[in-house]
Amino acid sequence: MEDFLYFFSFQDPNVLMVVIGISLLSISAAMVGTFTFLDKKALVGDAISHAVLPGVCLAFMFSGNKNPYWIVSGAFFTGALSTYVISWVARYTKLKEDTVIASVLSIFFGVGIVLMTQLQQTGNASLSGLDHFIFGNAISIVREDLWVYGALATCIIVVLLVFYKEFKVMVFNRSFAESIGLPVKRLDFVFNSLMVLAVVTGIQAIGVVLMAALLITPAAAAKFWTDRLSRLLFLAVLFSLISGISGAYISFSLPHMPTGPWVVVVLSIIAFLSFFFSTKKGILTRWVSRRKYQSKIHRDHILKALYQAEEHDKKGLPQKDIVDNFPGKVVKTHRTLRQLKKKGYITNDRELVALTSTGNSEAKRIVRLHRLWELYMTEYMNIAPDHVHESAEKFEHIITPELERQLDKSLNFPKEDPHQSIIPRDQNKP
Amino acid sequence: MIQHIENPVVEVHDLMVSYGQNPVLWNVDLSLPAGSLVGILGPNGAGKSTLIKAIMGLVEANSGYSKLFDQELNQVRNKVSYVPQRESVDWDFPASALDIVMMGTYHHLGLLKRPGKKEKELAMDCLDKVNMKNFAGRQISELSGGQQQRVFIARALAQQAELYFMDEPFAGVDMSTEKALIELFREMTAEGKTVIVVHHDIYSAGKYFDWLIMLNMHLVASGPTAEVLTEELLTKTYGGKLSTLADLGEIIKKSGFNPLKD
Ligand SMILES: Nc1ncnc2c1ncn2[C@@H]1O[C@H](COP(=O)(O)OP(=O)(O)O)[C@@H](O)[C@H]1O
Ligand SMILES: [Mg+2]
Repeated sequence: MEDFLYFFSFQDPNVLMVVIGISLLSISAAMVGTFTFLDKKALVGDAISHAVLPGVCLAFMFSGNKNPYWIVSGAFFTGALSTYVISWVARYTKLKEDTVIASVLSIFFGVGIVLMTQLQQTGNASLSGLDHFIFGNAISIVREDLWVYGALATCIIVVLLVFYKEFKVMVFNRSFAESIGLPVKRLDFVFNSLMVLAVVTGIQAIGVVLMAALLITPAAAAKFWTDRLSRLLFLAVLFSLISGISGAYISFSLPHMPTGPWVVVVLSIIAFLSFFFSTKKGILTRWVSRRKYQSKIHRDHILKALYQAEEHDKKGLPQKDIVDNFPGKVVKTHRTLRQLKKKGYITNDRELVALTSTGNSEAKRIVRLHRLWELYMTEYMNIAPDHVHESAEKFEHIITPELERQLDKSLNFPKEDPHQSIIPRDQNKP
Repeated sequence: MIQHIENPVVEVHDLMVSYGQNPVLWNVDLSLPAGSLVGILGPNGAGKSTLIKAIMGLVEANSGYSKLFDQELNQVRNKVSYVPQRESVDWDFPASALDIVMMGTYHHLGLLKRPGKKEKELAMDCLDKVNMKNFAGRQISELSGGQQQRVFIARALAQQAELYFMDEPFAGVDMSTEKALIELFREMTAEGKTVIVVHHDIYSAGKYFDWLIMLNMHLVASGPTAEVLTEELLTKTYGGKLSTLADLGEIIKKSGFNPLKD
């Protein structure tokens, strides 16, 4: 707790610096990642993040220290080289693009590991901390690093905002973008550079291996919550910030703990929560709407049973009969009856359940939809009258008022269904 | 039957296009009158889309050129609009119908400028013209195929162009919408605009278009509908690929290089 307060009160300028650094890089990674994700280039992002490792090692070999300018240049060089190699090989060979990407990824990363092993064997004292570039350590960021990485991240954010609408139209519909005269090739080049830069800004804090996750996962999680690009960007940035700062905090409070893996753990939690609880496509939402649909079916069936009783000139049905009608659903039936009474659809006096006038008109509607659909199937789809009941049992619950009007119109407001039962309508409404 | 005219709005001169080693358009040479509704007919794989793409500079021609309004494409981009085939994009993109139509205003805006109120009004008007105003806020993946097609056409209208190339705008569109769209295109041509439409139903083509282009890797016909819609030309267009062209294409494919490219 003390740690927590110390960290988040930002009284330590070093902590503040780390937080600013990781925030900038989280924002830029999430923004670039959103477009990468939508353009289905997640694999390329992964390849780049592995391909910067040999560059980092080479920079080390040449400069002999962890000078951020060298590191960034080296990383940018091999990262950019990898995208170039990927598009070149994919263009001039018949290999599938994903094969090419996977090969380039492993070759570059393999070379990187070899170089790193080599470097570590030389035992250079200033090399301690080189392995930070694999899994990242946000706490090792010093002022000079912040200037370099922060400036890069800011550049990325500005360029993306400037070209927002151009990238938007290019990702959605490239040929259209080209047809209105956008320089798509140059924009491609800009975007690929941004992608490499976004990875490069994260190599020290997050590490090369896990930068790909910070690019793609925020956008993938955000996609569960919205289907507008501006909101998608905003949410992706938010998710990325939360996980970036949490990762930095964990590295701070548990010394020697790498940052990257913790950032990814937090990101994964956010992604899982989105998957389960999102209001749009989440598992839970789907489960809830399924449950709602099932209770509606049950309610509709009870109303129908009561309506049919009325058609046979009964005042209503004993509660016991209704419950017996739905074996295995005793509790559910009781609950539904209570709800119907509360809504004013039924009265439930002395064990006799009867429809109120609102209930009667609602029941009529369901029966009407059932019979209209039966008639539609026999008239328009040439299905025999004895084959239509099953389907109508399902559709009576989902036909909307709009569709009902359409059915009524195309059947010319019929009076009877294929089994000569009357299609019930409210008197006051046509 | 290839009829050339004076002062054409579109002029294609000896255009030849290949994809890699595979030649798909051979020496297409045609000219189209301004203010007409033009249909491009031909079987699948005839090169209809490729012809439009080549004119729009989206694929590179091996030889030949095309001119619009007697000028290079780059000089007249603001007057030209292109509607790609609907399947060429991923409709799961996070955007509303209105967002997509707004894209039609981008090239007038230029860099850095964001679309504002004026652009939004224009986009809504265009959605209204294709009867999609009520769907402006709808996520595009939730639209039916025909509605997506109409969003694309609305985007083209928002470009306020003089010349329109539309690749299969009627694919997945129901009959009454197709009629309404043709009506809309008629109004546009009456105002002097030129609308060029890839279409695949020869029966309705006779009724819809002033001018027809028939294509099957090479140009079979280009002329006023009444003159080119003949049994003989239709057989030439739809009666299978010309075997010599196909054989020649095979030889080029096997040769390992493309002699048509310079
Ligand atoms: N990007 C491409 N790469 C290689 N071949 C292509 C490409 N696009 C089209 N083709 C080929 O070119 C021919 C013409 O295609 P297209 O112009 O799409 O025909 P259409 O629109 O008339 O159906 C087809 O045989 C098709 O397979
Ligand atoms: Mg086509």
